[in-house]
Amino acid sequence: MKNKIALIFGYNDYALEIAKNIRDRYEDIVIYSLHSEQDILKNKSNFEIKSFDLSDNWDGIDENFDFENSIAFCVLEDSAENIFLTISLRSLFEYLNIIALSNNKETANKLQMAGANRVIPLVQTTAEMISEMLEKPIVKEVFHKILFESGELKITQIKIHANSEYVGKEISQLDWESRYGVIPLSIVQDDMKSEFIYSSKIRHHVIKEGDMFVIVGYETCIGDFEKLIGSRFDVNWYNWSR
Amino acid sequence: MSFFSRFIVDIAYFIHTSDAYQHKKRFVYDLLENSRYKYKKIFDIFMIVLIFLSVFILIAEVKHEVPLYIKYFNVYVISIIFFIEYILRFWISSSVCEIIINKSEHDTMLGRGFSLSRALFKVLKAKLSFIFSFKAIIDLLAILPFFHELRLLRLFILFRVFKLFRYAKSFQIFASVLSTKKFEFLILLMFTSIVVFVSSVLVYVMEANNPASKVNTLFDALYWSIVTISTVGYGDVTAVTTEGRIVAMFVIIAGVSVLAFTTSIVVSAFTEKLDEIKEVKTIDDIRKLKRFYLICGYEHVAQEVAKKLANSMTSIIVLDEDEHRIAHAKKDGLVALNYDPGDMQSYKKIGIDLSTQVKSVLCLRESDVENVYTTLTIRSMNKDVNIVSLLMDDSNRKKLTFAGVNEILYPKGLVGMIAKELIGRPVAFEVIHALRNEYYGVNIEEILVDERMSQKIIYVSELDNAKFRIVLLGIYKKDKKRFFFNPLDGTALESGDYLLVIGKSVFIKEFEKHLHKKIKNEK
Repeated sequence: MKNKIALIFGYNDYALEIAKNIRDRYEDIVIYSLHSEQDILKNKSNFEIKSFDLSDNWDGIDENFDFENSIAFCVLEDSAENIFLTISLRSLFEYLNIIALSNNKETANKLQMAGANRVIPLVQTTAEMISEMLEKPIVKEVFHKILFESGELKITQIKIHANSEYVGKEISQLDWESRYGVIPLSIVQDDMKSEFIYSSKIRHHVIKEGDMFVIVGYETCIGDFEKLIGSRFDVNWYNWSR
Repeated sequence: MSFFSRFIVDIAYFIHTSDAYQHKKRFVYDLLENSRYKYKKIFDIFMIVLIFLSVFILIAEVKHEVPLYIKYFNVYVISIIFFIEYILRFWISSSVCEIIINKSEHDTMLGRGFSLSRALFKVLKAKLSFIFSFKAIIDLLAILPFFHELRLLRLFILFRVFKLFRYAKSFQIFASVLSTKKFEFLILLMFTSIVVFVSSVLVYVMEANNPASKVNTLFDALYWSIVTISTVGYGDVTAVTTEGRIVAMFVIIAGVSVLAFTTSIVVSAFTEKLDEIKEVKTIDDIRKLKRFYLICGYEHVAQEVAKKLANSMTSIIVLDEDEHRIAHAKKDGLVALNYDPGDMQSYKKIGIDLSTQVKSVLCLRESDVENVYTTLTIRSMNKDVNIVSLLMDDSNRKKLTFAGVNEILYPKGLVGMIAKELIGRPVAFEVIHALRNEYYGVNIEEILVDERMSQKIIYVSELDNAKFRIVLLGIYKKDKKRFFFNPLDGTALESGDYLLVIGKSVFIKEFEKHLHKKIKNEK
């Protein structure tokens, strides 16, 4: 059986932070370095470091790993190299999930054109966090807890069961806040695009089996909700992002 | 120390440490000299009105009979007000007590007897330097019309116009700009004087004995020379002899040159000082701001933060020691000053009040060394202002905290956390990302429950948020520092709570209006 792997390209602080955060989700994490000899020497982390070259063809690598469920992070510090790496990986592995780091909007567009499934715009994201810290400190704190901390409040994706009493009802008729203590935020449609349930065009959408909702609630409430309405569903990341 | 000297020093200490005295002196100083004092502007306008009234009455008196009470008002009331102002300026120009105390302490420290006469000499020197300052002389001349019996002194009313320099800042800027070219003006004045002198003498010599010429005296020659060199040329006195006309031609050419030089000196003075003038104006504007974010360092993250905060109600001020980055900030439409944010003098020069004016200081240099330095500078001046800083290397986190940063943002750590969410809950992550950025017009907002609102809207059920298609995500209880998710209808609202609501931005605005309207209607 092939393993799920996380490939991180570039040995730097970003790579180590990513590796630390995802280590419990992937069986193998490999950090690839362009300057492996010196990086291996100074490596104090527990992660495996391998060398790579931008002209590599990666022959035989897909024999050992399940690339459809694996992920690659392109975090090279040089934007041009990062773009070249992304386009190389995409040309070789059509179904590999690629997340790339960009320093500015221009690079972000190029990375997306090169085939990255998701680009993390570093500067914009940092700026977003700072402005939210200043202008909406409570929103920032609540979202931070929901997303990044292991508190009781969770955000999750729920897929509607066939026997759910809500199948056939309109979104505007949902009463989950008062009945189950969970708040629905959005619905993921057939084209895998999410739509906020507050938008006018979705209010009269008739719920059917398999519809997926993003809900917020306490862990216990979500557990009860799951039993009656639908189950947690992991989205195929590739389908969602492309 | 003699008994009398001891007595004087004791009195000086007593007055110097008297709160009531210092408070009064501070008030007078603020009113007369402190441009940041809110009542100074009113005082300045009052004085400007008095000056114009005074000049207007003087003009009216020439051809019309002015009522006696207006004359009295002009001569006595206005003069007395100006006199009081002069005395007050004399008082605050230097501190007599401070000079005596300093001298006494200085002498004691050096182990010699206190010399009262030397101390008084220092006081005299300080006060005389005020009396003989240009502005004080103008002030004194403006009071002279009080002695109206001397008819000529009435014209001293015109000196009151010069007092405008004190009250209108633009005049002061104009004078200071011209004063930078003192040397050039002096050279020009000398050149003009020589031309006028030589040409007057020449014309007098050549024209005085000619019966057809109107130049009969040296004064006539001087008058002709000045009228000609200034390029005014009235034509009432002209040169009639060939020699005289040759002199006139030279004087005309010299006049044109003098005029051209004068214009170019004034223009170059303003061009050179333009940046400084703009900076003075910017500092003035900053001082008037009630609340603003202070961005220290304008690099990539700072540029994005400024863009994000542009829609907020709070102004943004940028400080950076790098000229290019400041030029960039100005190009981005921000109020920016080329001052080092790590230098305490910068804040003194600008006159920023960190405790009342600055909402948050953002240390956004992409260097931990710079951010720590700036934080320490700010903390040494103010202990309470909120400081947010970027952290570039996690090993420096403690240093920033120790320096006094309230909130730290570590971009590399953020990337790690985002990566975790992106692989775990991509849809949920994208939904929150969209909410944060107000994509699709849906937004999350914080609404403060104020005192009035909490008195009229007691429970969550009374909010009517469902009517506005607004979802109440939760309530943040500030006193308990806890977030209550999806609160029940019976949850009580208290003053200081924050409602976290999600919905279309337009509906959120309507909802807020509705809450305030509800309070009014129920009054």
